[in-house]
Amino acid sequence: MKTTLEELTARYSRALQSYLEMGGEDALHQAYQVGRDALARDLGVLEVAALHQEALVSTLLQMLAPTESSRIAKKASEFFAETLAPFEMTHRGFQEANAILSDLNDELRRRVEVILRDYKVAQDQIDQHKKMERMKDEFISLVSHELRTPLTSIHASLGLLSSGLTTGLPEKARQLLEVAHRNSQRLVRLIGDVLDLQKIESGTMPFELRPVEIGPFLEQAIEANEAYGAQFGVSFVLNGVPPRIGIKADPDRLMQVITNLLSNAAKFSPSYRTVLVAAQRNAGVVRVTVTDRGPGIPEEFRARIFQRFAQADSSTTREKGGTGLGLNISKAIVERMGGHIGFETEVGVGTTFYVELPLTEQSPNGARA
Amino acid sequence: MARGALKRILLVEDDPDIQTVAELALSAIGGFTVEVCGSGRDALDRAPGFHPDLVLLDVMMPGMDGPTALKALRQLPETSKTPVVFMTARAQPHEVAQYKQLGSLDVITKPFEPAELAATLRRIWDRYEE
Repeated sequence: MKTTLEELTARYSRALQSYLEMGGEDALHQAYQVGRDALARDLGVLEVAALHQEALVSTLLQMLAPTESSRIAKKASEFFAETLAPFEMTHRGFQEANAILSDLNDELRRRVEVILRDYKVAQDQIDQHKKMERMKDEFISLVSHELRTPLTSIHASLGLLSSGLTTGLPEKARQLLEVAHRNSQRLVRLIGDVLDLQKIESGTMPFELRPVEIGPFLEQAIEANEAYGAQFGVSFVLNGVPPRIGIKADPDRLMQVITNLLSNAAKFSPSYRTVLVAAQRNAGVVRVTVTDRGPGIPEEFRARIFQRFAQADSSTTREKGGTGLGLNISKAIVERMGGHIGFETEVGVGTTFYVELPLTEQSPNGARA
Repeated sequence: MARGALKRILLVEDDPDIQTVAELALSAIGGFTVEVCGSGRDALDRAPGFHPDLVLLDVMMPGMDGPTALKALRQLPETSKTPVVFMTARAQPHEVAQYKQLGSLDVITKPFEPAELAATLRRIWDRYEE
């Protein structure tokens, strides 16, 4: 019985939709046939009316033409009347049908109104949400850029003082200057990271994917970060890259990611140890690895490591000078380039962070790394 | 093309505090002769008399912004070929590409490291000389 009703509803819906879109005798004939089948299966007018109502509501929703609802409902009533024709011929339920049609129209109007109201509320919420997101993005962008102007003079003044331009400062004053300079550097990085995050989230960070030959690229990354590593007594060593393999990436963004991994490795490595950088080709991807001999990542922290402001120990930010945003940004960048970032770690032994990016078909001859 | 060493820099920056630190970084650390201008208009007035080797030009300034000042400098016979380096807090890769398209030799990002400012300009200058 259930199957019969479902099958009739499906046939009725298809025919009703066709009638509402194109009109025509064929669709009306189908309505008549549905009516006959309903009668033959001993369905009452009430059940046929319910079937009509379901079909009409779903059709209105599908057509998403709420403003047209009364015209559509009127046309659908003509169609429904055809379905009821077989019932009229038997004189069964004729008066009942009229009463039901009237109730049905009221009920239908009520249901459509509820649906429209819900639809409008949902639309308003989406619009409001989008507006808030846009305002938030504009606010962050504006504040960050505005912050940079005073920060430029503070940072540069402290930098000039710390660089030994003014000699004869008492030891205590020089220490305090260094504290101020180091912290202004942190603020500079933090603002840069917040701006990057905002750009990634609002989709305004531009990505230009092109073939990048990984060997020269990693050499360049190591060279650019050598001075930073030296601050921690750490050197970066390129340890095995297959020749002439290319990946598809935005070189500026990839440099940002590798720089982040190298600086993390330097911060967490014991002094006078090397950080190994390598690349392997593996089933359609190139895996770049950065391996340190640091303390390893504690078990309880592993799941949160790519979250914002996630650091295993809050004193890390203070001691190592990180912003707590680097890995979160790196993950977003790698994923936007169609890649994957992850790590393997063992407490007391060290950590390897890896980035996997799609291999390019051909070696990027002469491509800028 | 060889013009010798970089000596004279025209610094165009509207923020007085940044003027102070950038001038100090360029003169005290870099040993350059620096002329400071507070606006694009000011730069146009003083560039012909100063004969800079290079113009360090802020991008966002009230009145005449950096890109407009650059175009105007190109119209003056004394500065039509003087290399210009932009200085800006907005230096995303696509923005840097735009600035270079406008004719800027390179772009220095704010906040800058004062101890490195002079060395960066020298590197840019050496590359330009090549």
